[in-house]
Amino acid sequence: MIELRNVSLKYGEKEILHSVSLTIEDNTIKAILGPSGVGKSTILKLMLGLMRPTSGQVFVDGVEISSLSEAELFPIRRKMGMVFQGNALFDSMTISQNLGFFLRENLNLPEEEILRRVQEQIRFAGLEGYEEQLPESLSGGMRKRVAIGRALIFKPHMILFDEPTAGLDPVSSKKILSLISSLRQHNNLGAVIVTHIIDDVFNVADCAAVLYKGEIIFDDAAPKLHESEHPFIRSILSDKILEL
Amino acid sequence: MPVTLIRNIEKDLVYRLKDFFLTMQDFFLFGVRSFLTIPKIRRYWRDFLDQAKICGADSIPIVLVSAISIGSLLAIEVGNLLEDFGAKTMLGRSTSISVIRELGPLLMGLMLSARFGSRNGAELGAMKISEQIDALRAFGTDPIAKLVMPRLVAALIMFLPLTALSDFAGLYSAAYMAEHYHHLDPGIFWNSVYPRLALKDFVVGFAKAPVFAVIITLVSSFNGFSASGGTAGVGRSTIKGIVVSSGLVLIANFYVSKIVLENM
Repeated sequence: MIELRNVSLKYGEKEILHSVSLTIEDNTIKAILGPSGVGKSTILKLMLGLMRPTSGQVFVDGVEISSLSEAELFPIRRKMGMVFQGNALFDSMTISQNLGFFLRENLNLPEEEILRRVQEQIRFAGLEGYEEQLPESLSGGMRKRVAIGRALIFKPHMILFDEPTAGLDPVSSKKILSLISSLRQHNNLGAVIVTHIIDDVFNVADCAAVLYKGEIIFDDAAPKLHESEHPFIRSILSDKILEL
Repeated sequence: MPVTLIRNIEKDLVYRLKDFFLTMQDFFLFGVRSFLTIPKIRRYWRDFLDQAKICGADSIPIVLVSAISIGSLLAIEVGNLLEDFGAKTMLGRSTSISVIRELGPLLMGLMLSARFGSRNGAELGAMKISEQIDALRAFGTDPIAKLVMPRLVAALIMFLPLTALSDFAGLYSAAYMAEHYHHLDPGIFWNSVYPRLALKDFVVGFAKAPVFAVIITLVSSFNGFSASGGTAGVGRSTIKGIVVSSGLVLIANFYVSKIVLENM
């Protein structure tokens, strides 16, 4: 379980997040919805300990992580996989090297086991035949699937998705969303999805939080978004995509 | 109005000073962490070999070109000057000291600042912008150990033979010019070189190699790690890395010479 308690974050004089409190239960898919540049991706980085809050606390499975050192954070980070918005694949490595990177770096596994797990993810992502290609030679949707496979390979409890369908064509978006839905069914995983596309929320999420002007203005089951009277939520329900 | 203006200037000055000292603190910690991760070199030996090839073998042509051109030019100009005093036989002595103590290591440092430093800044800056450095951290890898430490160790090791190569090429090109331009017998040239070179001349030259290695690698890598603002930001951080490391190489060149010569 991940919990943010009264988290605030400032960049210089500018306050990005103001007293944000959120809870993500295990084995649920929670979407964080909000306009671009409002601090949604920052929330994911706070959950991973990649950034530290100016005030407030971040708990992962009951451990307060915002005061931990980098070395102390490594075992916490292994509980979560992250799929970055731009995928953040290592561009000098092949697809199979990208997928096996974490295992080779951090786990003392025999090479046969690493190759077996890499092949498993290659099949899961439908990327057979692309193992030795560099990321630049793949389409946007394929790269996203590699990024998901890389996050899944070390069997985390929770996956954090930063704008998983941004910049993808409708067919690729649909594939990625069905891949995310299948994660819970097959792997019993929880997920946090940061998005500005409201259809993504209704397609995959159990619950949703809406971030607006640095504050959480809605945090409940996703279908209850329709019942909200908040003018911003009403406007995004009618516009579907937040182009702000 | 003037009071407001003065207050704004004061506020801006305080902000800039604070920013400068915070950057210096971050740079210091970055440098310390880079050295502290050196024991992990066995784990990242492949990265070390890649970087050793980039800053070592791949830099040979540019180091040779700069050393040969400066050695030749020095022999021509100094030879002309010595001829006026009838002391052309001292050409070997004067060029060898200039090349071994100062120009060989300095030119190598400046060339590597441009070549190795710019590559570091651009590569690491692009990785920072595309969140690859965050991805390393997210997957439990220390980005300094994986990306900076192999570069630092490679530079510390490879800059020494490059300095020797630069000295060698500079001296031989000077000897070639002495023979073919000033018509000085090679025996006279080399006789004025060897017996007069002292240990301190080599210590001055070779002590600069590790100093330049640390400056170039840490400054360029730190700037790459600090890149922000898209591709333009990568460009800015790369340029900043080259300008600052080149400036520091020039300053360090002076102080290393001064300290060694005063103490030997």
